[in-house]
Amino acid sequence: MSKITEQIMDALDVETFFVCASEEEGRNLMLGLLKSWGFTDVDVVFAQYEGPGVRVRGRAYVYRPADKYRWLLKDAAAQEGCR
Amino acid sequence: MKNVLLAPLDPVHDIGLKMIARGLEAAGYETVLLPPDLTAEEIIHTALGEKTGTLLLSRTLGYGVAELLARFVDLADAAGLRSQVKLGIGGMAVRPELAAELGFDGGFGPGTTVEEVICFIEGREYCPDPAKTAKAKTDMTAGYDYRYRHAGIASKLADISAMILGWAKDKTSPGVERARLRDELWDAARWRARQGDGELYKHYPALCGDIPRKYYAGGELHPKTRRFGKGEVEGLEKYLAETKARMSVRKLQHSRRKPLVFVQYGTGCPFMDIGHILASEAWGADGVVHFDPSWGARTEGFLDGFLTHQEDGTVITPANLNRIHMGLEDSTLWQVRAHRGLNTPETVVLAAKLGADLTKINFCYGALGAGTDPARMVVDACAAIRYAAKYRLPFDVVTNEELCGVPAHKAFAGMLIVADLAVRLGGRPILQPLFAYSPEAMIGGLMADNYIDFNVAKIKALRAIVNAPVWPGAPIGFLTHTEDRVQSAMTTALHACLASALEVDAISIASTDEAYSGGPIAAPSRIDTLRAVAEGFRFFGQAGIAATAQADRYAAELVAGIEQVLDAVLAEGDFVAAVHKGALGSRAEGAYPGRTGKDTVTTTKH
Repeated sequence: MSKITEQIMDALDVETFFVCASEEEGRNLMLGLLKSWGFTDVDVVFAQYEGPGVRVRGRAYVYRPADKYRWLLKDAAAQEGCR
Repeated sequence: MKNVLLAPLDPVHDIGLKMIARGLEAAGYETVLLPPDLTAEEIIHTALGEKTGTLLLSRTLGYGVAELLARFVDLADAAGLRSQVKLGIGGMAVRPELAAELGFDGGFGPGTTVEEVICFIEGREYCPDPAKTAKAKTDMTAGYDYRYRHAGIASKLADISAMILGWAKDKTSPGVERARLRDELWDAARWRARQGDGELYKHYPALCGDIPRKYYAGGELHPKTRRFGKGEVEGLEKYLAETKARMSVRKLQHSRRKPLVFVQYGTGCPFMDIGHILASEAWGADGVVHFDPSWGARTEGFLDGFLTHQEDGTVITPANLNRIHMGLEDSTLWQVRAHRGLNTPETVVLAAKLGADLTKINFCYGALGAGTDPARMVVDACAAIRYAAKYRLPFDVVTNEELCGVPAHKAFAGMLIVADLAVRLGGRPILQPLFAYSPEAMIGGLMADNYIDFNVAKIKALRAIVNAPVWPGAPIGFLTHTEDRVQSAMTTALHACLASALEVDAISIASTDEAYSGGPIAAPSRIDTLRAVAEGFRFFGQAGIAATAQADRYAAELVAGIEQVLDAVLAEGDFVAAVHKGALGSRAEGAYPGRTGKDTVTTTKH
C-alpha cells in the first residue's frame, strides 16, 4: 500500500466513461483498471450503458470495517505491521 | 493605505469582485474597480498610476488559469509593481496554496467573505466568527403539547393505551430485568473513572443469551468481532485531538430553522464510524443515528469491551457507545436506536447514561417487521418508554413496517398507539412517517405521477390528528434510490426539500450508497447527500412546494383508515392478539409476527 492510498479513509471511487459495446464489457474494463493499479478488493458500484458506451463507477476498498487503518495508526503502523 | 484596486483578469466576469468592492467600501475603504477584459499590462499600468496599496485580481474560469496568473506576476515584477503592492487573487479555481505557489500574497476561493479580504489587506490573521458556524442542540419536541385534533381517534387511543397498560402491568422479561439492573446498579461516571461496574455483572450474565454468557464466563467473543489494540486506541485519541482542533461545522438549512438533518452510521467499526461522523458533521449533519448489527437485536444482553465488527452494524457495548459519544461535536444530536429487539429497555438506559439525546421505540414495528415476539416486544417497549421518560429522552416512533408492505394507515395506527401510550407514561414521542416509495404506493399506484402527494398526505393526516413533532425517515426517499450517486443524491435532496417545505422537525437522510449492496458505505457517499440537501435548501429557501388536490384525498383516506384500524384493535379486546391477527399489518401485507423472545414473558410476583 502506498503512502497516499493509506490516507484514504475507506475506499477509492473511480468514475469514467468507457467507449465499449456493452455494460458487461464496461464493467470488466473498470475492474481491470482497478486491478491494474494494484487494488484487490474491487467492485463496480454503478454502470449504465447506452449506445456510445458505459458510464461506470468502480470502487476499490482500501479498508473495510475492523481493518487497521493507517490514517489512524501513523505511529503504530510501522511497529505493528498493519495490513 | 486604504486604497484598493480591484481588477478582473477575465474577459467577462467581475461579480465576485463587485461584491468584495461593495463590502470594502462599506468598511471604509476607497476602491477602484476596473472593467473586465483589460490586459495584464493595462492593469499593471493603472495600478502604478493609482499608487494603490493592494491589488485584488479575479479570474473566474479555471482552464489555463495558472499560466495566466504566473505571467501576471512576472509582468508585475518586471514593472516594479510587485514590491509596492500586496497582491491577491480570487476565483472559482483559486486556492491559497495555488496563489502562494504562483507568487501571490493571498488567494481566495469560493465563499470568501469581506472580513477575510480585510484581514488580508490589513495583514491580520483571519479568524472566522465562531458564531456563524456555531450550532446548538435543539429539542425538536419543544413547543408540542400532544393535544389531539381528532376527538374520535383520541378516545380510541385512550382505550387502547389502557388495554395495553392493563395487560402489561404485571409482566416482565429478561430484557426488562437487565434494564432494571443497568438502571439501578451501573453508574456511568464511576465506570468512566475506571471504578468498575458495581454489582452489575454479578447478576447480569444469568439474564443473557449464549453469546454474552460465553463472553462473561470466559471472554469468548462473537466470531465477527475483535477487541481493539492499545496502539489503535492511542491512534484514535491522537486522530480525534488533531481533527477536533481544525473542525468546524456547516449549517444546512439556509434561511430556515428546520428540519434538523440526521445521518445514520454503523459501519461495524466504532473508529470508522467516528471518521464518518466527523465528515458528516463537518458537512452539516445535525444529528447521527447509531445502527447496531441485526444479530444484536436477537441476542439477550450486551457484550462488554471496546469491540469492532466486520459487518454492518456497530455492536452496542458501553465502551463502544462511550467512545463514539466522546467523538461527537457538542452540537450534534445523538440517537441510539432501541426499537426492535430483545434489548430495547436496556438500550434506552445505557444510551441515556452515556449521553444520548434521542432513542427510537416502536413495539408494533419491532413485532411485525423486525422479528420480535409481539408479547415480548410490548412488555419490553413499555419498560423502555418508562425509562425514556425517566431520563427525558425523546424518541421517534418509526413506521418501517411500511417497507414490508403494510399500508401506511395501519403503520400509522401502530405509531399513534405507541405515541399515545408514551405521552401517558410521561414520554416525548416523535412521529416518524416514511417518505418512501413503499410497496403499498407501488402496487396501488399512489405515486404513479409524483412522489409529493402521498408524502404530503401523510403529514397532513398526522397533523389533522395530533399536535406532535414529525421526523420523516428513515431514510427519506427510501426505495427511490439507485446505485447512481447523482440520482441518489438528487432524490434525497428533493425529498429533503419537500420535508422542509412541510416544516417538519427533522429528517434522516441516506448516503448515495443506500442502494449499493456490494460493500460498506464509503465516506464520500455520505457527503454527496449532505451537499445535495444543502443545495436543495439553498434553492428553495422559504419558497414552498405545491401538492395536487390528490394529497387532500389521500390524507382523508389515511385518517379514515387509521380510525378503522383502531376500531379493529378495540374489537379484539387484546392488543397482542390483535397484532397476531393482523389488525396492524397482516401476513398477506408482508407483516409477520416475530418469534424471537417467544415465551420469555413472565408474570411478576407481588
